[in-house]
Amino acid sequence: MKVNKIFIVILVISLLSGCGKRQINELALVSAVGIDQGSSPNSVRVTVQVVRPADARGQTGAPAGGTGEPIYSVQAEGKTIFEAIRNLARFSSRRVYWAHNFIIVINEKFARAGIADMIDFFTRNPELRMNTWIAATPNPASEVVSTITGLEVVPGEAVDKLFRYNEIVSEAPRTNMTRLQESYLNEYTHPVLARLELKNRGISNKKPEEFGSLKQIELSGTAVFKHDKMVGWLNRAQSRALLLFIENVDSGIEVITCPDLPNQDATLEVKSQSLHVKPIASGSVPSFHVDVSSRVELSESGCLATFNEMRGYLEEQMGNRVKEQIESLLAAAQKKYKVDILKLGEIYENEYPSEWRRIRDDWEDIFPQVQITIDSRAELTSAVLKITKKKIPRG
Amino acid sequence: MKVKITNGMFVALIMTIIYAKAIGVTQGSLAREIGHDMWIATILGTLQGIVMMILTAAILQKLPDQNFIGFAEALLGKWAGKIVAFVIFLFFLFSFGPIMVTFIYHFKDYFLPEAPIYLFIVVALIVGIFGGFHGLEVMARMALVGAFAVVCLNILLLTGSLSEFDIHNLRPVMEKGFIQTSWASRHYDTDWALATVMAGMILPMVKQSEKWVKAGWSGMILTCIAITMWPILEAAVLSAPVTAEYIVSCMHLARGAHIGIFLHRYELIMIALFSTSSLIQIMMSLYCSAHALSKIFGVKDYRPMLIPAGLALGAFGYWLVLDHLRAISFTEKEWPLISLPIAFLLPIILWTFGKLFRRKLSRS
Amino acid sequence: MDNLEKDITDSLAENTNIISAILGDSADINKREFSFGQLKGVCFFAAGLANTDQVSTIVRSFAVFGEHQDASGNRTIQAISRSLILNTSVETKTKINDGIKGILSGDTLVLLDGYKEYLLVETKGWDKRGVEEPSTENVVRGPRDGFTEDIRTNTSHIRRRIKNPDLRFDEMTIGDKTNTSINIAYLNGTVKKGLVEEIKSRLSRIKIDGVLESGYIEELIQDAPLSPFSTIQSTERPDKVSAALLEGRAAILVDNTPFALIMPSYFWEQLQAPDDYYNNFWMGTFFRMLRYFAFLTSVLLPSAYVMLISFHQEMIPTRLAFTIASGREVVPFPVLFEALIMELAFELMREAGLRMPKPVGQAVSIVGSLIIGQSAVQAGLISPFMVIIIAITGISSFAIPSYSTSFSIRLLRFPMLIASGTMGLLGFTCAFFMVMIHVLSIRSFGEPFFSPIAPFSASEHKDILVRVPWWAMVKRPRTASGELRRLGAGQKPKPPSTSEERHEGE
Repeated sequence: MKVNKIFIVILVISLLSGCGKRQINELALVSAVGIDQGSSPNSVRVTVQVVRPADARGQTGAPAGGTGEPIYSVQAEGKTIFEAIRNLARFSSRRVYWAHNFIIVINEKFARAGIADMIDFFTRNPELRMNTWIAATPNPASEVVSTITGLEVVPGEAVDKLFRYNEIVSEAPRTNMTRLQESYLNEYTHPVLARLELKNRGISNKKPEEFGSLKQIELSGTAVFKHDKMVGWLNRAQSRALLLFIENVDSGIEVITCPDLPNQDATLEVKSQSLHVKPIASGSVPSFHVDVSSRVELSESGCLATFNEMRGYLEEQMGNRVKEQIESLLAAAQKKYKVDILKLGEIYENEYPSEWRRIRDDWEDIFPQVQITIDSRAELTSAVLKITKKKIPRG
Repeated sequence: MKVKITNGMFVALIMTIIYAKAIGVTQGSLAREIGHDMWIATILGTLQGIVMMILTAAILQKLPDQNFIGFAEALLGKWAGKIVAFVIFLFFLFSFGPIMVTFIYHFKDYFLPEAPIYLFIVVALIVGIFGGFHGLEVMARMALVGAFAVVCLNILLLTGSLSEFDIHNLRPVMEKGFIQTSWASRHYDTDWALATVMAGMILPMVKQSEKWVKAGWSGMILTCIAITMWPILEAAVLSAPVTAEYIVSCMHLARGAHIGIFLHRYELIMIALFSTSSLIQIMMSLYCSAHALSKIFGVKDYRPMLIPAGLALGAFGYWLVLDHLRAISFTEKEWPLISLPIAFLLPIILWTFGKLFRRKLSRS
Repeated sequence: MDNLEKDITDSLAENTNIISAILGDSADINKREFSFGQLKGVCFFAAGLANTDQVSTIVRSFAVFGEHQDASGNRTIQAISRSLILNTSVETKTKINDGIKGILSGDTLVLLDGYKEYLLVETKGWDKRGVEEPSTENVVRGPRDGFTEDIRTNTSHIRRRIKNPDLRFDEMTIGDKTNTSINIAYLNGTVKKGLVEEIKSRLSRIKIDGVLESGYIEELIQDAPLSPFSTIQSTERPDKVSAALLEGRAAILVDNTPFALIMPSYFWEQLQAPDDYYNNFWMGTFFRMLRYFAFLTSVLLPSAYVMLISFHQEMIPTRLAFTIASGREVVPFPVLFEALIMELAFELMREAGLRMPKPVGQAVSIVGSLIIGQSAVQAGLISPFMVIIIAITGISSFAIPSYSTSFSIRLLRFPMLIASGTMGLLGFTCAFFMVMIHVLSIRSFGEPFFSPIAPFSASEHKDILVRVPWWAMVKRPRTASGELRRLGAGQKPKPPSTSEERHEGE
């Protein structure tokens, strides 16, 4: 009896309450978001790329109809991000749903003005997931978001995969919401974002003679932030060096000129790289010793010399190359932008907590003066499948 | 037939009744106070909890058929029993606030933001009364299932977030100093207070009174092991400042967990497992407060008292949860002030009186 | 009807009249009067129930007796029954009541003139269905015989398997009108202490006019009468009953039905099949796990799907979410409604296929699968994903060996669906939690239904989640009393002594 009564009560309550529910097909599933500065400096323009499931996933027994385009991109403006998003509802027939968003693209201009509200909005909302990628772009974010890519049907998905398999080139940090929030909330370490750029790379199938008529999205480079404001870019080589500090790098290539032929190159593929930072407490300004070791393989060679003959030379060149990259990165971080994006402060804190407490309030001023020594070694362990090489007759 | 549960079930009850709030809400409060040393505070809290649990078990071993209320009654007469019953009722009444904070902020804020709060209260009360009505034995069996769920949840979370583990975030240890860290452990103390006061109510229904002490401390240690994983992961994966930002920080950790590319989010499964612990908290506080009420009004059976107890607890929970800020400030400020004196002083006072009236005790 | 309680008199005519009056003019009651020399008598028997050959044997033996006997009064009825009747069983009685019962259960009542007692000769012999393979519980490996409607055949099946004097069948008769005979089977000395007494006291409490199937008994003695779960296992398989008896349980056999009842029964047993024990233990364990999985799927899958689609879309893996959304694009119904329609349609198809004669049943399934599976999707009424979900759920529920359990799951599915379709995760977990509380609270003849998981008992786990090899299942389950070891020591098969040693011997 009791069981029945309770059951009836539950049934009545549940049917009365009818908490607002929307089926999955009544949602506009967002797959990418672009954030630009609006028409006035205080406003923000949000571009969303919405998936049209019926066209993105082909026929499933139901007539799909419509334009046949897999995505639908719309724009709205508002004073805050949330207002802009609510304004989308004026013309979106379905509720804009963010949970499946792959990527947030921020325009450089907007980023330079500060992204604190953006971070707050996207981490406050339970609907959003924390492994959404974040990237900055010098192009209009709206354009980046609505660019159709060749291989994937949904562009957001394409960028997602670009990030995921980016480790092959290792030229941009893989910053997702969790990491961005973590480094933003950390007082002494500053956030970095990946750089996305539109480049004319694609070749149209219909007009192959017009090379580069299609724009493609390229992931390479890094945007540097000071707290929430963007301060500038890092180039490809600097980004590679940065990745050594903040991520695990197990891939990438370096091209090194042959020892015997000045116009021919040997290509080395990085198999693993590891970096250790040793802080040294000395007076008011700490110094650091950076120790990098790389393991590389010879993957392409136009040189005359055999693998064995070149080995020492290539190892040395590779070591120097990495050292140069790190030096260039340090120059940018310490001299140009004056922000600690390398987590050096954290490393120092871990090792010397009491010393750190003394200097941490002045870290911003101390960091540019910090002395950093670099020791870079490389090890060439294999020439992949071959061991000898055909002698090319000189001349 | 008198209901008896085994010591293993008692351990499972301790584990499930502490777990739900300790991993989420408590860790956020700890992070706001002492940063990444949350896990140390949790362990320090456990040490205090073990002492109080052993004391509780030792007191009740003197009169193995009586709970705290019966013990006070046997020593100091009927009115003392009623006062203790009232104190215990108050404890569980206020405990329902943080319990509801845990339950509702997990479910509502992360999964059903549009559902009205009263729905959660009503459903929780229905389940709680349904479970309380079936009695301790069923709840204890449920706790076994709950303990299994806790283990599953821990494994799921571990597999999903270990890839982002960053040991740097945990160092340096004891940044804020020992005193502040141990002072912060009061937040975890409020969690185990639920377990010790519960033990004071249900221990007489546990078999083999000579094993109570061992079951008590081993339960506390197992709970500590199950819980400490969370602050360590929260600090290492999320970092302390991020943990401190959130009311329910464990959900934030769970939200980031993912297995491979396909299963990019599975906090739904985790929260389903988590809910066993949370619902057992609800059932248990209803059951214990109904027991205390029945002693206050001198009713033989506690079952009819489930309804008034449920209404009182539900009303308080609803009022508290309605306002996020009020809920968190109550959980962090007022709740330790209410729960800790009861959790510490009640066993100590009873123990002292037990010493004083030793002769009376041996006679009864 | 007070004649029933009377003893018979020594007047043949009077006795005949009384019995004829009691039995009325019922067409199937035969009266055979005979008179050989001075010996006069009447045989009463029920046509169809009594074997006419045996009845004529009785009459023939009286014929021989009457020819050679001058006086009848000088022989006692005991002497007649001992020296005259050739049938296997004969009793002398005086109460009319016993005689009537005997006639109605196939015996022959013989009234002799001048005697104050009568003979009740066993002549039972009616048409029985042959022993067939049980239709509800099929096995790949295992005995093929099943119970039939005849209780004696059924007890013989068990006796053939357990040739032990401790195997007892205690007889009771239940049903004021039907007088159905019921046997309680148990192994004396092994059965759980107090179980047989408990069963007897519950059975003797029953006051009902008729028992036509063991389901009547099951509902009248169950511990949790309101529960959708059945705490008594019913089976058609003698090997299952025998295994239960060896584990210290008891069984109730009811006449006129092939379904025996086994008690106490745990939840887990209803998901186990006899095959588990006959096949390789790896196979047994795997199939068992598979069935547990099927159980969870058939309870939770539809509600989980509805919950995900209507509340927690963020939890669906992104690529899957796009696919589901594209399938639902044109579906006009809310997903809860869609699921309920499909569940009902599925149940209808199952029920229709079951009740129809076999050839028509096939037509039902073809029409059903074509309409539901193909046309509904093409017309855009139902999303293809929902069809898949319902199909998986249906298949999973068919994988559960016990029919009554798969039925209780079916019932649970609907409240679960409604709860999770209206309240999302909250409804889903709370509904599941309440089902769990219910399951944990019920008992089966003093044994917790969910044991040995909760309450936990480590020693029983060799035969719950996994099935350990027979040589490792050393002990009987906790339910059994008496000797707990069921296995001798060192039963794990070993290869014969190593080959090197043998070489040395040669």
